[in-house]
Amino acid sequence: MRVYIRYAVKETFSNLWRNRMMTIAAVLTVAVSLSLVGSALLLKQSAAQASAQWQQGTRVTVWMQPSASAAELSNVQTELANLPIVKSCQFFSKAQDYAEALKLLPQSETSVLTVADMPSSFRCVPTVPANAFTVESTFANQPGVYKVTAPEQQIREMNRAIRILQIVFLALAGVLLLSATVLILNTIRMAIFARRREVSVMKLVGATNWFIRIPYITEGFIQGLLGSAVAMLAVTALHTWYPLHNEFQLNTSALVGTNAVVLVVGVLIGSVGSAIAIRRFLDV
Amino acid sequence: MIRFENVSKTYKNGTPALKDISLDIEKGEFVFLVGASGSGKTTFLRLLLREELPDQGRILEAGRDIGELPKWRVPYLRRNIGCVFQDFRLLPNKSVFENVAFALEVIGRPKSTVDSQVPQILELVGLTEKSKNLPGELSGGEQQRVAVARAFVNRPLILLADEPTGNLDPANSESIMALLERINRTGTTVVMATHDKALVDRMRRRVIELDKGEMIRDQVRGVYGIDEGVTLS
Repeated sequence: MRVYIRYAVKETFSNLWRNRMMTIAAVLTVAVSLSLVGSALLLKQSAAQASAQWQQGTRVTVWMQPSASAAELSNVQTELANLPIVKSCQFFSKAQDYAEALKLLPQSETSVLTVADMPSSFRCVPTVPANAFTVESTFANQPGVYKVTAPEQQIREMNRAIRILQIVFLALAGVLLLSATVLILNTIRMAIFARRREVSVMKLVGATNWFIRIPYITEGFIQGLLGSAVAMLAVTALHTWYPLHNEFQLNTSALVGTNAVVLVVGVLIGSVGSAIAIRRFLDV
Repeated sequence: MIRFENVSKTYKNGTPALKDISLDIEKGEFVFLVGASGSGKTTFLRLLLREELPDQGRILEAGRDIGELPKWRVPYLRRNIGCVFQDFRLLPNKSVFENVAFALEVIGRPKSTVDSQVPQILELVGLTEKSKNLPGELSGGEQQRVAVARAFVNRPLILLADEPTGNLDPANSESIMALLERINRTGTTVVMATHDKALVDRMRRRVIELDKGEMIRDQVRGVYGIDEGVTLS
């Protein structure tokens, strides 16, 4: 067994070295395609997370001026309560809004905020989402109201943009994964061709089929592995230096999950590439 | 050691290669397989190696029907059969020692076995001095001796030789034959396909002659030609 492991390792690396240009091409193609797969996955997860956060929150928010008087506040509150298209409303004090801002905004933005600067707000759920705009037009010019926001529409548009981006990423990744498989297949075919004499002698003297095959399988496996290692670095870098708002930030377990997918797919295409090459070109 | 029971083989293009062959080869026998090109000699050897399966009949080696052998057992069958070819089939980028050692390494023999067996077998074939040379630096006869060493290093029960002297001059042919005889004397069954009439006539060993796939002669102490009035025995 020890003899064999040494033999297989030696053969694998000498094959990789002999075809190093092809190996580099294969590894890079795997890396690029898997980086795209990983990014698409991260994007999907963070978009899902952000819109879930928004949707379980308020559909329409009536933001009061930080300087709004108690009378103006109660006025708006009564009108909201009497509006039939508003199902329910919740009042958020300045302190509550401040706490939420701390949670949602990056530190660079919150460090200059104080509780007194914060507007208080009414978070309302309209009976139907489309009514959000009616609420918006009704309250936008009320005294003491700073602004009415209805993020529903924006969320929907952003989700659509993300979905399109994701499809593009995955389509590109699919094409690249296919070419990566073909490249791996081809490097292994070249390795088999370079060793055809050895292989014929091995068969002649009774080397088992797996003894002959394993160096080529590990070769494809290692190419897939190297490619996914590079892709995992890229995905981790993207996760760490995400140029996006806090709502999109994913936790470490999402990153680990994504990297696991990248690793499995990489090893899989390496193994599939070599398996096809062995079936077609290694006659054992 | 080897038994053919009504073996027939026809290739896909319809050429019959062997027709209803039945024979027994005992352990330790030395058998010449003669016949014109296309008479079925190579098919005969390929069947023994289980590179082909017969269409009809059975082939038994060491008492076992090799047709029944599962595919994954075939390599283990081949470990008991050494092979020598007309074109030597050595690895050009490995030295004489490495060529012989390769046969042991790829069947998983430990280094200690390789280090003890290879020098021994190189001495048997008389190439101890050249063990570091590459095949390209050797004469044809020497290369064939390396091939014989590689075939025999694992001490197989059977040695198959397909025209081993076909590319050699008479003197080198002679030394290869002497080597095969020595191997035969250790109890190894040797089956040799050949065209070399003078060689067969001189050796006076069992001769099996094939013609268009049929066995037309099986003679205990035979000669190459059938012009001497011999019959199927």
